[in-house]
This record gives sequence, structure tokens and C-alpha cells, in this order.
Amino acid sequence: MDFIPGGELSRRIRLGDVSAESELIRQFEPGLRVLLRRRTGGDYGLLQDLVQETLLIVIQRLRGDGIDDPQKLAAFAAQTARNLAIASLRKAERQKTDVDSEATDRNADPTQSVDRIASDLEAALAVRALLRELPQARDRLMLKRFYLDDHDKNLICQELDLSEAAFNQALSRARRRFRQILEERGFAKRDLLSLGL
Amino acid sequence: MNQEQIEQYVAGNMGEAEALAFEEYCLANPEFARQVEYEQRLKAGLAQVASGSTAEFVRSEHPLTWSLAAAAGVLIALFAVFSIWNSGLHTPAPTIMAALSVTSPHADTSLRLALVRGSETVPALPKGLVRVEIVGLFDAGNMYSVALDRREQNQKIDTVATLNDQHPSSPMSLEVLIDSKQLRPGPYSLRVRKQASGEEALDFGFMKF
Repeated sequence: MDFIPGGELSRRIRLGDVSAESELIRQFEPGLRVLLRRRTGGDYGLLQDLVQETLLIVIQRLRGDGIDDPQKLAAFAAQTARNLAIASLRKAERQKTDVDSEATDRNADPTQSVDRIASDLEAALAVRALLRELPQARDRLMLKRFYLDDHDKNLICQELDLSEAAFNQALSRARRRFRQILEERGFAKRDLLSLGL
Repeated sequence: MNQEQIEQYVAGNMGEAEALAFEEYCLANPEFARQVEYEQRLKAGLAQVASGSTAEFVRSEHPLTWSLAAAAGVLIALFAVFSIWNSGLHTPAPTIMAALSVTSPHADTSLRLALVRGSETVPALPKGLVRVEIVGLFDAGNMYSVALDRREQNQKIDTVATLNDQHPSSPMSLEVLIDSKQLRPGPYSLRVRKQASGEEALDFGFMKF
């Protein structure tokens, strides 16, 4: 699909064009997920909340007063997301200092911790499937060294006796397969509670 | 932007100013952003697997074990196909969930479901034919699958009905019809997933009394 510039999206949303709101969500949601994933420490529920909150704030702002420079709509959405993430972090920090930690442990909601684990489980299941499929132990070790041990590519190539081209090819194949596994399986998420309105 | 920058960003090795510019580029380039997100999830998944044990990274191959597992898988799949085919021949299943269209029967009542983090109440499904409005952010240009799951007490999940190729009625809602009387009492959830995407499904839980 074509990319619609921020100025045009802003103008159309101001005029009440619902399809422009859908387009804004389509365009910005993936980028917001990247930005917020980095700032939510693996908490999928919080990530989802903040993505939705950001999009709602941006849409409401465009429906109403608009923004100073509509050409910079992406920058405005990114900054809104960052502000929400900072506010959420501050709130969590305040709660940490205010609560009696022993009492919290005693009254911990077991579903919360299970949901937190489940948020990482999807990617973990896909990684497990990927590792099972990789025929060579060397390829699995390469992933570990690169992603978990943060070793330099050259060092890994030396250690595993790989050329740079072979390293890049194996890494690219693993990435492609990981994406394919996730897309094929469409893992379920179960980390939010719902409410009848 | 290139793969090397994606790796730097995901590894947290990018300077602050460069990271901010990278993020804004992601917002202006959704397909690139998806690529970055898969990289983030791959790293997170590897960390999760490694947090238990690193055995999966260093295991040696056991061709015989894999062959046996594959053979067992084929037998199970054949049995499952036979069972489904056999049950389909004898008892046509009643419609539990249906898409909403102009020809749909008139619903007796309605229920709105939305995700609210931290909520302690679970909505109840009214009696009769219920028009269920799922509230969230939807991409009107995409199709969604909706699965109705029954959650058993032993954490087992049993999918009782599935609808594919559903279009949201607006960017904020997607609607289906559920026949309440076809459901046994207990906890259920509607699992909504954007088709042809790697995005996670969202669960909207409710009770049938």
C-alpha cells in the first residue's frame, strides 16, 4: 500500500474521513510497536496498552485542534509514545516505592505473572521450532553468540570457522524462517482481561 | 536504513539521537518497522529459551529420534483427519457463531467487549442470539479471524467455532453473532487475529452462565 504523507492524513482526519484514521493506524502501528517494545521491557500487555493509547491520542488531536506542523505527524506520534512510556515507567517506580513488597508477594495475582511469561512465550515457541529445524549445531551456536552473547561478527566467524558471507547467509535464513513460523502459527495472546461496556 | 542499523538498534548499541531518528523512520516505513520488530522478537525469544537451559543450542542431531517423531506425527494427523471426516458425516454442527451481515437474523440482545488492563470483572453473555461488538483498533483494509474458545478448568482450551475473513465494521469495532443457547455454561473467550500477519491474537473473555 502507498504511504500517505502526514500533512494529507492530518487534513483528511480533520475533515472526518474515517478511512484516513484507518490508514494512520496501518502506517504508524508497526513503528510504534518497535519504539514501545524497547521501552516496555517485554511486558506485552503494557506495550499493547501504550500503542492503543498513543493512536487514540493522535487521532483525537487530529480530529480536534490538529498539530502545529502536520508534515511532522510521525515525529509527533513518536514523541507521544515516548512520553506515555516515560509516564508509565514513573508510575511503576512510584508504585514500587509505595508498596509493602512482602504484602505484594503474599497477595500476588498468579495470572499476572503467567501472562507476563506468556507474552514472551510466543517468540520462545517460534525460536524452539527454529532451533529444531536448524540442521547444524554450528548455526544454533551462531545465533546464541550473536544475539545473546553480543559477540562481534568477526569473532564469531573466526570461532566457528565461517566466512562472512556464510555467516550473513545463515543469519538471514534464520530470520526469514523465524518470521515464517510466527506468521504460519499466529500464536494466541492471552494477557489482557476484557470488560463488557 | 539497513540491516546493520537494525542490529545496532535491537542490541541497544545505537546512540540516543540516532535511535530517535531510527524510530521516526520506522513510523514512516511500516514494512521496515515490521522487519525490526521480528528482529526484536527473535532476540527476546532466544533469551527466553536460553533462560531455561542452553542445551537446545548445543544439542547434537539424533536422526532416528526425529524419524520416529515424524512417523508418529503422520499417524496422529491421519487419525485426526479420519475422526473429523467421520463426525462430519453423521452430525451437522449447529451454528454457534456467525458473521454479521444484512441477511443475519435479528439479535435478541447485544454485548460490547473491550480490553481493559487490570479489570477484575468478567462480562456475562446474555441469553438468546447475541450481537457481540468487539471494541479495539482495527485495520479496515485487513481481514480478521475470530475464534470462540472454551476455557476448561484444567487450562485446556477448546476452540468451538471459528470465523475467517471478517471485516471490521469500523476502525474501532468488529461484530459477530453468537447463539448463547448453543454454549455450555463456563468461561469463554473470543480470540481475534489479523490474518496474514505475524501479529499476536487478542483475547476477549466472557462467562456463559
